[in-house]
Amino acid sequence: MEILTAFAIGLTFAVGLFQILRRNVIRAAIGLMLLSNAISLYLLTTGAYIGEKAAYVGIAVGEPVDPLPQALILTAIVISLGTTAFVLAMLYIISKRYKTCDSDALTGLAK
Amino acid sequence: MPNCHLVICPVLIPLLSGVAGFILCRFPRLRAWLAIAGMSMSLACSFLLFFSVHQAGQPMVFQGGGWAAPFGITLVADLLAALFVLMSQLVLLAGVIYAMGSKDSCVGYPCFYPLFLFLATGLTGAILAGDIFNLFVFVELLAISSTVLTAISDDRYGVEAAYKYFYMSQLAAIFLLLAVGALYVSCGSLNMAHLSVLIAQAPSTMLLPLAAAFLMASFMIKSACFPFHFWQPDFHTAAPTPVSAMLSSVVVKLGVYGFIRMTTLIFTDQASQIQTLLTILGVAGIAYGGISAVGTHNVKRMLAYSTLAQVGFVLVGIGWGTVFSLTAAIVFAFNHSIVKSAMLMLAGHVASRSSIKSASFSIVTGVGRKLPLAGVLFFLGSLSLAGIPPTNGFISKMMIFKSGIQSGHFYGLILIGLASTFTLVYTMRAFMRIFWQEPSKGIYTKPQGDRLVAPVLLICLVLALGVFAEPLVELAGETVNWLVNPKIYIQAVLGEVL
Repeated sequence: MEILTAFAIGLTFAVGLFQILRRNVIRAAIGLMLLSNAISLYLLTTGAYIGEKAAYVGIAVGEPVDPLPQALILTAIVISLGTTAFVLAMLYIISKRYKTCDSDALTGLAK
Repeated sequence: MPNCHLVICPVLIPLLSGVAGFILCRFPRLRAWLAIAGMSMSLACSFLLFFSVHQAGQPMVFQGGGWAAPFGITLVADLLAALFVLMSQLVLLAGVIYAMGSKDSCVGYPCFYPLFLFLATGLTGAILAGDIFNLFVFVELLAISSTVLTAISDDRYGVEAAYKYFYMSQLAAIFLLLAVGALYVSCGSLNMAHLSVLIAQAPSTMLLPLAAAFLMASFMIKSACFPFHFWQPDFHTAAPTPVSAMLSSVVVKLGVYGFIRMTTLIFTDQASQIQTLLTILGVAGIAYGGISAVGTHNVKRMLAYSTLAQVGFVLVGIGWGTVFSLTAAIVFAFNHSIVKSAMLMLAGHVASRSSIKSASFSIVTGVGRKLPLAGVLFFLGSLSLAGIPPTNGFISKMMIFKSGIQSGHFYGLILIGLASTFTLVYTMRAFMRIFWQEPSKGIYTKPQGDRLVAPVLLICLVLALGVFAEPLVELAGETVNWLVNPKIYIQAVLGEVL
């Protein structure tokens, strides 16, 4: 299971990083989302394999899991939701203003 | 250790006034005055905080919800954090004052002042945060509000600059989260004081070098030092003047603050490698920033490259790592924040008086001939950037060079000495072109423009800190005395658990 999760995180990371480096700005936004999901998975694994009972729910029999990584992921997910919404709004303005999705064509500042 | 509520005031007051600003979105004047009132109050709180920390002789700690340190949310104000908060709040208040007198249409948008205050919240909170995950949360708040502030710029390329800046800061956030995960796996805590204890107990845990590398990467992007600087010049040409003045002066100091914390508190064992890297990056930044600033065609771009060089000096000071060089780095950071924000505001003022609103040399050449006050201020600011008395730049540069001589880093000294002569070349060239040369045909000076209140205040501070440098230098020295003994910080946060 650990190996599978590790591979899944690595794959998500790789795909996200590849997409973020593409010229198409929409693909780059998808890459950003994939990267933030990969990070959430990575944070999840930091506490996933110690204990198996839910913490703070009823009288746990057996070892409870570490609740901190889950709290961290919750915060990280909320923040990444905000950033995703914002980046999409920004892409809308960019596509309207420049009439292109190619990030190499966004050269207004270089002039 | 009693729970000290003063520590949270500089974070809470801007946040609350920002929210109130959203509620008052129908009253533009009131909103602006509210922003000024909020920032002044939080500046007063930061002064109070700084002096009470100094009086108490030990760091003040706020434990959120009353949960003891490694478990709860902790805000810590030791002298370093209090000094950096004071510096940020000073410059942020000046930024709000500049925004009030600005002619840009973006400062009239209902979201401008609230976002500016959220920027202040994020910056102050990130400096005061006692654990790395809260640092991440505040840094995200800072990044998103400053990106929106850039995207609403009057400049039509504002969105493009915001896009670049946003991806860079997201990258920094991802690195920070990777560091959070790595530190949590290897130590089981995220509280900086607790981490310091745990890392000292088991310095060779497998993921620790990785965590240090991720944290370094994150702070390098934040401080825009040498290889990660490329978004900065683009950003400054397009961002609204008050925002670019904040980002180039105090927000880059967040990265510097992170480096100081890393080398003196968290990774004290690995500090020598980090310091070597910082010295190399700093020297490279000074050389590259100086040469690039000479070759630019836009005042704001030139000042952005100048920031790269000046942050390089601070990094070199941290990299040499002696008590005196750390003192020099802190004094340099404080002085640079004030002068760089003043210079960017002056560049924005000149741009607002030129025929087309741009800071490009081809447009602002000769515009300053009718602006004597701006000319004098720009000249004094240039002196400070180049390190010539009677300005504060002289004090900070002299301290850096003296610390280099004391610790015997002569190759580095020769390099940065040569590279810092570029500063005089580019600042004086900009001064001559804007305020001295005859304007070419079709270039005229507008009768109205941004107000000069904020840069006047900041340049007065520059002169005051140049003539009466003693108190700041002594306070910085005391700060470093606390820093080289991390036990003080740890004991204040964790209590008697040691």
